[in-house]
Amino acid sequence: MVSDATLELHKFMQARKTLFCYSGPLSEDLLTSISNPVRHQLSETDSSDSVAKKVFGVFIEQAQNIIRYADTRSSATGDGVGTIAISLTDEGFLIEAVNTIDSEKSTALEKSLVDLSMKDATELRKMYKERLRSGPPEGSKGAGLGFIEMARRVQRFEFEIAETDKGPVFVYRGYVV
Amino acid sequence: MQLAATQRTPLIEISATSCRIVGECYPENIQEFSSPVMTELRSSVPDSGSYTVELELFYFNSSSAKFFFDFFEFFEEKAESGVAVNVNWNYRLDDDTMLEAGEDFAEDMIKCKFELVEMPSESGADAEDE
Repeated sequence: MVSDATLELHKFMQARKTLFCYSGPLSEDLLTSISNPVRHQLSETDSSDSVAKKVFGVFIEQAQNIIRYADTRSSATGDGVGTIAISLTDEGFLIEAVNTIDSEKSTALEKSLVDLSMKDATELRKMYKERLRSGPPEGSKGAGLGFIEMARRVQRFEFEIAETDKGPVFVYRGYVV
Repeated sequence: MQLAATQRTPLIEISATSCRIVGECYPENIQEFSSPVMTELRSSVPDSGSYTVELELFYFNSSSAKFFFDFFEFFEEKAESGVAVNVNWNYRLDDDTMLEAGEDFAEDMIKCKFELVEMPSESGADAEDE
């Protein structure tokens, strides 16, 4: 049947309890447009305002990482291409993002994320404040705070940098409880 | 200065005696948003007397954190030069994220009076459902 793949997609999204998923070129304009449906989806769950806000915050940081740093860009607009999703799991909300990255930056990214994953809440808070004072590191297009901010909001996060024929693909998964 | 809130930027009111910021802050372009605000503050906030800063933020992203850092640094410098600056950081009862953010900014405020003000969790000023 021609519709098999579509049906499978539906079943897959339902089974993994994905509330929201976007895959493709992402821009700040598009992020403005999708913010409301994302919030709406979160308000449909029985999570507290505080949890919904943390999920939303992690989602925004991940989306802006794709916008700023995805190595694959849309040929038409130059927008960063990636996939971003919010799902419900036994461990709480899972906010996940996938995008290709510049191969020259993958080692530094890996190092800083390993470093972040070993820090507790107090250390993360201290690090955040220090970064705020010192200003963004070289190569940052924001405040250089995004990954620290996410680490502060999630219960835990995991990441992977997979080598593919299109260069390194970065996968980030953050759980919010 | 009077800036109405948008989906991604807060309401901003700046006068010669007070500054008020209410809402959410995750602008598409933080520089474009923040530089007129900082310019307005530099020209509006006097060099003596007293000044009130009222903040009621529901959410801000990491790019905006730098703006708030500069914002408070500006007022701390004003306070050091003799202005009596009173900052009220309003946060909702169960909003630990905004409480922590307020605590973090408060740590650097030596000369400014910085108060963390708890509000009921369901505020009538909620713009999120619009």
